[in-house]
Amino acid sequence: MTEITPGSHGQGDAPPPGSPGASPNVGPVRDSVADLPSGAPTGAQRAADEAPAAVVGARRPLDIGQDIDLPAGTGAATVGTPTLLGLPGTRQAVQPAFDEHHPPDPALIGDCVHCGFCLPTCPTYVLWGEEMDSPRGRIYLMKEALEGEPLDDSMVRHFDQCLGCMACVTACPSGVQYDKLIEATRPQIERRYERSRAEKLYRDLIYNLFPYPRRLRALRGPLRAYQASRLGSLLTRSGLIRRLPAPLQAMESLAPKLGPVESVPERTPAVGQRRAVVGLLAGCVQGTFFPDVNAATVRVLAAEGCDVIAPRRQGCCGALPGHGGREEQALDFAKRTIETFERAGVDYVVVNAAGCGSNIKEYGHQLRDEPEWAERAEALARRSRDISEFIVEIGPVAERHPLPMTVAYQDACHLAHAQGIREEPRKLLRGIPGIELKPLVEAELCCGSAGTYNMLQPEPARELGERKAAAVLATGADLMVTANPGCWMQVATTLARMGERMPVAHTVQVLDASIRGVPVEQLLDRALNGPGTALTRPTPAQR
Amino acid sequence: MSAPAVTRRPGGTDDAVGGVVPREVVRPGTVEEVADVLRAAAADGRTVVPVGGRSKLTWAAPPESCDLLLDVTGLDRIVEHVAGDLTVVAEAGVRLGDLQAQLGEAGQLLGLDPPEDGATLGGLVSANASGPRRLRYGTTRDLLIGITVVLADGTLARAGGKVVKNVAGYDLGKLYTGAHGTLGVVVSTTWRLHPVPPARRVVTLDLPDVAAAGPLSIALARSTLTPSAVELSGTAGGPGRLVVLFESIAESVTDQARSAVALLGGGEESDDLPEDFGRRPGGADDVLLRLAHAPAALAAVLAALPAGTPVSAHAATGVAYAAVPAAEAAGALPRLRAAIAEHDGTAVVLRAPDAVRDALDHWGPVGDSLELMRRVKERFDPERRMSPGRFVGGL
Amino acid sequence: MTAVAEPAVSDRTAALAEALRTAIGTERVLTDRTQVRTYECDGLANFKVTPAIVVLAESRQHVVDTVRLCSEAGVPFVARGSGTGLSGGALPSADGVLLVMSRLRSLGPVDADNRQVTVEPGVINLWVTRDAAPFDLAYAPDPSSQLVCSIGGNVAENAGGAHCLKYGFTVNHVLGAEVVLPDGEVVHLGGRAPEHPGYDLLGAFIGSEGTLGVATELTLRLIRVPEAVQTMLVGYHSVEDAAGTVSDIIAAGILPAAVEMMDALAIEAAEAAVSCGYPEGAVAVLVIELDGPQVEVEAQFRQVEEIARRRNAFETRIAADDAERGLMWKGRKSAFAAVGRISPSYFVQDGVIPRTKLPEVLAEMKRMADEKGLRVANVFHAGDGNLHPLVLFDDAVEGQAHEAEELAGDILELCVTSGGSITGEHGVGSEKRMKMAKQFTPADLDTMQLVRCAFDPDGIANPGKVFPTPRLCGERPGVRKGEHPVQAAGLGEVF
Repeated sequence: MTEITPGSHGQGDAPPPGSPGASPNVGPVRDSVADLPSGAPTGAQRAADEAPAAVVGARRPLDIGQDIDLPAGTGAATVGTPTLLGLPGTRQAVQPAFDEHHPPDPALIGDCVHCGFCLPTCPTYVLWGEEMDSPRGRIYLMKEALEGEPLDDSMVRHFDQCLGCMACVTACPSGVQYDKLIEATRPQIERRYERSRAEKLYRDLIYNLFPYPRRLRALRGPLRAYQASRLGSLLTRSGLIRRLPAPLQAMESLAPKLGPVESVPERTPAVGQRRAVVGLLAGCVQGTFFPDVNAATVRVLAAEGCDVIAPRRQGCCGALPGHGGREEQALDFAKRTIETFERAGVDYVVVNAAGCGSNIKEYGHQLRDEPEWAERAEALARRSRDISEFIVEIGPVAERHPLPMTVAYQDACHLAHAQGIREEPRKLLRGIPGIELKPLVEAELCCGSAGTYNMLQPEPARELGERKAAAVLATGADLMVTANPGCWMQVATTLARMGERMPVAHTVQVLDASIRGVPVEQLLDRALNGPGTALTRPTPAQR
Repeated sequence: MSAPAVTRRPGGTDDAVGGVVPREVVRPGTVEEVADVLRAAAADGRTVVPVGGRSKLTWAAPPESCDLLLDVTGLDRIVEHVAGDLTVVAEAGVRLGDLQAQLGEAGQLLGLDPPEDGATLGGLVSANASGPRRLRYGTTRDLLIGITVVLADGTLARAGGKVVKNVAGYDLGKLYTGAHGTLGVVVSTTWRLHPVPPARRVVTLDLPDVAAAGPLSIALARSTLTPSAVELSGTAGGPGRLVVLFESIAESVTDQARSAVALLGGGEESDDLPEDFGRRPGGADDVLLRLAHAPAALAAVLAALPAGTPVSAHAATGVAYAAVPAAEAAGALPRLRAAIAEHDGTAVVLRAPDAVRDALDHWGPVGDSLELMRRVKERFDPERRMSPGRFVGGL
Repeated sequence: MTAVAEPAVSDRTAALAEALRTAIGTERVLTDRTQVRTYECDGLANFKVTPAIVVLAESRQHVVDTVRLCSEAGVPFVARGSGTGLSGGALPSADGVLLVMSRLRSLGPVDADNRQVTVEPGVINLWVTRDAAPFDLAYAPDPSSQLVCSIGGNVAENAGGAHCLKYGFTVNHVLGAEVVLPDGEVVHLGGRAPEHPGYDLLGAFIGSEGTLGVATELTLRLIRVPEAVQTMLVGYHSVEDAAGTVSDIIAAGILPAAVEMMDALAIEAAEAAVSCGYPEGAVAVLVIELDGPQVEVEAQFRQVEEIARRRNAFETRIAADDAERGLMWKGRKSAFAAVGRISPSYFVQDGVIPRTKLPEVLAEMKRMADEKGLRVANVFHAGDGNLHPLVLFDDAVEGQAHEAEELAGDILELCVTSGGSITGEHGVGSEKRMKMAKQFTPADLDTMQLVRCAFDPDGIANPGKVFPTPRLCGERPGVRKGEHPVQAAGLGEVF
């Protein structure tokens, strides 16, 4: 049952020349700039330029592409007729919306009974109060797409605006697997939908930078990275650079204070009797911006009786590109990670970044189509543990020294919602003499970091960051503890922007300090001023 | 039980409604007979004023005309009391006292306690009368779960039902509550009941200044105590008496009364209610006002009354009564209304001596919904034959 | 019954959309097909109508402007809160405007001395209690969807909840409302005082399911948080024993804050969803809550325990703290949606029976279900006889959906013949309007519609809901003649 509303781009409309997004074929992600469409608008697009503009959502951030070209006050929805509001060649309506390669599963969509219990836990619904930006609404959009509605700009925007925090998965009484659904939708968008040139470049920049620890390490900040890179010079030459200030500012402003890279030895023996051999996933962002955390993880694991193997040549686990819908890139990373840890010969893979942990646990699902990988992926997934989960599982044995302080533990979405790990970190923290945990209001609400979200959707990310920062401050705690580098950066930089300072640390750093008997003052000082803490600088919002 | 037959007689001065003497008094014995009477009245365009126990005939504004006084006391059957469901169906002419006596045998009660003697269920619905225990049980709108009415044209209509929880259709019971017979005749009512509490304890506190009841009632309402009533009586600007009534199991009332004494900073405990508990203030020569206001504004409302005015209040609920000397009423009323408006306060005349009745604005300002009320009245009684003029805005 | 209507972008609605954009801002008016389709159903997902226009109001003025423009254009409008209703009460009108109120969500401040708070209709039920909590106050109505449903929606449906046995419904807790009438006029019904001269139009408005206008502000009564709350979970080997316990509690003169019952299927679903740890092997459980002064609660609690024991309860668990109490309630409150875990599809039903008829109605319901070879899970507010049978079925089995729908309907009729009602809290909405004739006579329904005609003579506020036959407002009561403009315009039908 498909009806194409008058004027919409149906299947019969010719896609703009060279537009890969209109291709129904499953193919490799095209990311070469040579594939970008020419700048000439089509006739339909010119006509649409004159059509009245309807904008979606008050107080809603404009899309990056739209941000570039639009006068203030206009946006990007259609009123029966298509409206061209992005860069030339961006207005499109792909039909059918999804190709045959793992579209969102209708059976999973059917699990949703439309009860709405997900709404109040969804960050974008909390911000904007509209159905299309809620889990229930997005599932409905998927259903519409399966029923024949085209994948058009507005639909893509609503999917893009999902943080992927999975709070809805926790909230859902019907057990709807929204995580599977949105993760099936994102690659469809990346394959089939042609983003505006500027946005595409920006996304390419992110996904060619962050998942590569060496590239990250080589640079003192993302802004320098992009200026120095081929992409950066291309942006400059094309004049697009002037049009990208907000998101790049966002990116730049998130980079924390960098310390000297504290290298982790490839092999660290257990203290006392060996209880397990564990591999450490060093992570890309974690390892680069928060090397302290990896060092602390190794020390804690060793103290708890583990030989720790930190393979030298490991890269991104695939979480960042995976959450961005860049399936090919994500799967490549996944395979490399599987190989690395197979070679390492470890009993467990321990992960200290929530986003990476939840991703690795999904390897089996991600590689289900590749017979030579599926089983190996599943095997690694089964052996993967979050650091807090792991220590609780083996049972802590190392002596804890007192750390008299109050702690606001912030649930990382990919730990609490995606992995269901809430109690373990709290249990470990409470196991340290002197620590008192302070509960946060709206604890289930995402801080807005959400992987690359705060770079791709800076406005909602900023609002959510402020909500979370305010909640953290309201606890009056001495220290905020979290288990994800993204949350750390997000909350720390938000606090800095608000003119507030608060020590922040990873759960494992607190454990490490306790085990080593580090005085609480020293821990708090390092958590306030050490590597990973926020730099204070102006942001787009303040200018 | 009365015989199911319509009795008719000419109206006399004893039958006067707000001074208006009806031409005829009709007393049907069944619901169907009420419908017959109203159909006949519709046919020849006669005006109708329904009455029950006549305990509040002098309430509200006088009707513009009363061809027929429709006496519903013949509808006096308690149709169905299901103790296990805590519900009762009773006709409009059943007297509250009779109903309570029957319910009491099953250890139950209807949570309405207006002090007017001989009130019928239909009458207390139509006048929305309440008493001290409204603090605990609410009022008619909270307890009436089903209603049967006869419209001006004789149509018999029912709304609600016999179950407490029911959201099917519009709740006409609410509309007829306090409508003073202007939308039709209430013929049968269904109520939610409560168990009779096994024990009682009373705390009585004399106040040098009646206005002190304001902060005390706020303190009580914000405490965890659960009094059935906090009843104030006294004179504006003068002394007063606060009666706090606890009704529950023995352990609870003993404990709560003790706590109340501590909270109030004094008070006498006893098992008995004062004889005049809940009585409206003043006498037949006074204009009796019902004041409603935001609950915490009790002190301010008392202060707005002329000094020496006899008052009572269901404190903590936002309802008070004042008996203004007849001669002063016309002058005092507008000032009072203006003074309490900021507390969302209103003052309506419940009862006025004949001499001053016509000079008073019984209802006062109604607000921006008067036009809507007029439209409701026009739909239910397009010919304006039901208690015309008795209600707000001359409805 | 499933209806999917395509949005007819008629000239009328196109012009209205344009006027709305001018009046309230382009970004608040949606007509994009994929977007408006996300609003085509509320919590009752088997009824779907695509609205022509969705308005995302942010202020009273937006509501006034929208309603006035609709009125001028003769276009119907449907107000919607969080879209969690279970009777299709917020089902859009095809070719009409869906007026989304979720963004009107300012709350407070709490007036502690008056025990009141004024809120906008998009405020979520639970937020009220959250904000009132620091003052030891709470908002009593607590529908199971309280963490998501809006106060505006609660008012439209006169929402109940588990604790209405003791505390009453929304209508008992709303003191005042600012209402935009279907012609765009703003009126204030009720207020901060408990009584106001004139008809109790507020009482009539609450529970009118959006057919009399749109509330833009509500003043709510707050209750003092009781000194003590005790909750117990009781497991039984038979439904009869559970039902008997409820009767005995009432007969003992105890008025619990809540008495909830779940049967084996519902328990299974809740366990699967939230691992609430209900007694193993229970055929029925009761969640009983008492609140009030400490001594009273303790004494009555002992009494209730004794009653449960006499009625063969095999396990009685008492919540030791708020966390345990929360878990007992979590199982109950998530039960509806949780049934999705044990059945591909199901109908949620909402009927009321006199409490004393509980055992015989449950037995009859079981017989009816067996006859059709279907399963019925039961979750209900046992204290006030409000049943929520969940009729389970599998769409994949041919004809089963139809059978299930029939059974759901039969259950309602069973409620009516038992002296009850077709709805205790979900409302009539789109789903049950044809059942209204089972409970009420044509004269009853015509009389109710006199109210509708006074508020909304053109019948543009949420048409096609509540009543099987739209009242023809030009007529006198009791007589019906000719075709009404509402019918002619296709806004309503006569059955």
